[in-house]
Amino acid sequence: MSEIEPNVIFSIENLNRDYICALDKLDMNKWLACFNKQGTYKLISNENESRGYPIAFMLDDKFERLQDRVTQVNDIQADSTEHYQMRHMTQLTSITDLGNNRYQADYNFTVYYTQNLIETSSILCVGRYEDIILIENGASFLQRKAVIDTNVLPRYVAYPV
Amino acid sequence: MSEKFIIEPTMEWPAKYNEVPKEVFEKEELWPLELEKIFYGDEWHPVVHQSEIPNIGDYKAADLGEIPIFAVRGEDNKIRIFQNTCTHRGTTLVTESLGNKKEFECPYHRWLFSPEGELVGCPNSREFTPGFDKKDFSLPTFRTEEFCGLYFITMSDTVAPLKEYLGKDFYEPLSRILGGDGRLKFAGYQKVHYDCNWKAYCDNDGYHAPLLHLAFKMLNWQGGKGVQNVSENGHLSFESELKIPDDITALKDASILDFKGTETSTGSIVQMQFPLTVYSKHMDMLNVRYAYPKGPKGIEVHYAYFTHEDDDDEMIEHRIRQASNLLGPCGLISMEDASIFSRIDKGNKTPGMAIFQKGVKDEYQLELKVGQNDESGNLPRWEHYRKLMGFKRAES
Repeated sequence: MSEIEPNVIFSIENLNRDYICALDKLDMNKWLACFNKQGTYKLISNENESRGYPIAFMLDDKFERLQDRVTQVNDIQADSTEHYQMRHMTQLTSITDLGNNRYQADYNFTVYYTQNLIETSSILCVGRYEDIILIENGASFLQRKAVIDTNVLPRYVAYPV
Repeated sequence: MSEKFIIEPTMEWPAKYNEVPKEVFEKEELWPLELEKIFYGDEWHPVVHQSEIPNIGDYKAADLGEIPIFAVRGEDNKIRIFQNTCTHRGTTLVTESLGNKKEFECPYHRWLFSPEGELVGCPNSREFTPGFDKKDFSLPTFRTEEFCGLYFITMSDTVAPLKEYLGKDFYEPLSRILGGDGRLKFAGYQKVHYDCNWKAYCDNDGYHAPLLHLAFKMLNWQGGKGVQNVSENGHLSFESELKIPDDITALKDASILDFKGTETSTGSIVQMQFPLTVYSKHMDMLNVRYAYPKGPKGIEVHYAYFTHEDDDDEMIEHRIRQASNLLGPCGLISMEDASIFSRIDKGNKTPGMAIFQKGVKDEYQLELKVGQNDESGNLPRWEHYRKLMGFKRAES
């Protein structure tokens, strides 16, 4: 990481901070704003990812899908799901310069959840982000892929992580 | 020594066929009896589709009730299902959910088994009991049958052969979920734990679909003509046309709902095999939901998805996009079901009866003929459960 300019690290960390704060506040429009117009999001188990099985928990492979994810959370499922509060803990583990202002960044993460705000807190999932980030007039995700070690989710998952 | 009495747990069952005591979801002492009478009794249980373990030596671990098992593809290309236990001192032989091994070695005393289940090595066997013969120590297996590439097991010697057990109304639509001919390719799992008794997980009904699923309403997605077939031994099979509107304004990318279909497809098939397996085909998603109760409370569901060997790249991508966004524990249309499981479990701690209404014409008669959106289709499975468990129905 030593060859990466400090302002690049700063931009990447800022983007990640915007992302996790958006989710912890469940502000889906701010979540969407973290993505580039060419951006994609995927939530997949490590079991599938490591064996080359393509099935994901969430697969937003174009910007319209990301927009529909916002609609799904805000409008479609709002009445039927049991809400839970998320807290994301992340740690940057590597940055690689891919050229053309693109960077690959990896994070470890843990997401805690507290259901209905009245119960005890538990771990929703543990994993890693594999990101492709474009730094051009600020930073945005070309790809945020969350690969979770938690192959068996402890409950249904209503929001992206 | 005093004589040993085993007192089996029992329950009062109401005279009305449309009432189920809520206690049945909560009474923990029922679980050992359910294992004996249902999971280890006269029922068939799916374990693996051949496409999940396509190569020689591929294995998949699973459970039958509380018994750890694994399926493995042998050198002869045959799939066998064994108890996951060394025949010496009982250590499990596989610890990963999926994998590939040429041989299965117990780490404890290095007993070695072939993928065909034979004991092929055991150190120092000259010092074993007189008459020790490796042939007597093969891995314990099960009565096994295959249907469209899906392998089922039972611990019963007396239950009818698989197709007879399932019945034509069940296995015919199931064959279409399994691609018509079973020539599927495995695409991956979504695994989740639901916080409810196993019977609450599989008590979903035909009445809820247009009402719970706001996604259906929002998408202006109306179910077309359809049928619900139920059998006396508790299997349910729903089949319906899907009328997906051409213009879905709620979504920016409505291609996620495309039904590309094939000649072996109808829009929607959902099947529940007693005691707790769900199979579904909505649009182009081919899905088997293996389910594993974790004792009396909690159930782990493994949604397994498939593509067909004849699919072109576009169809494969479509099936993957659809399955990864619409079904499972995060899916647009099935998350709402998941939200019910824990709520129904909490609610069933209250006293009294869960009461079925929709489609019930006579509370004192069991009816096998039910409409597409009736919840009375669940009543034959409850009656089957009651009989298996030996609970006496009150007189009317």
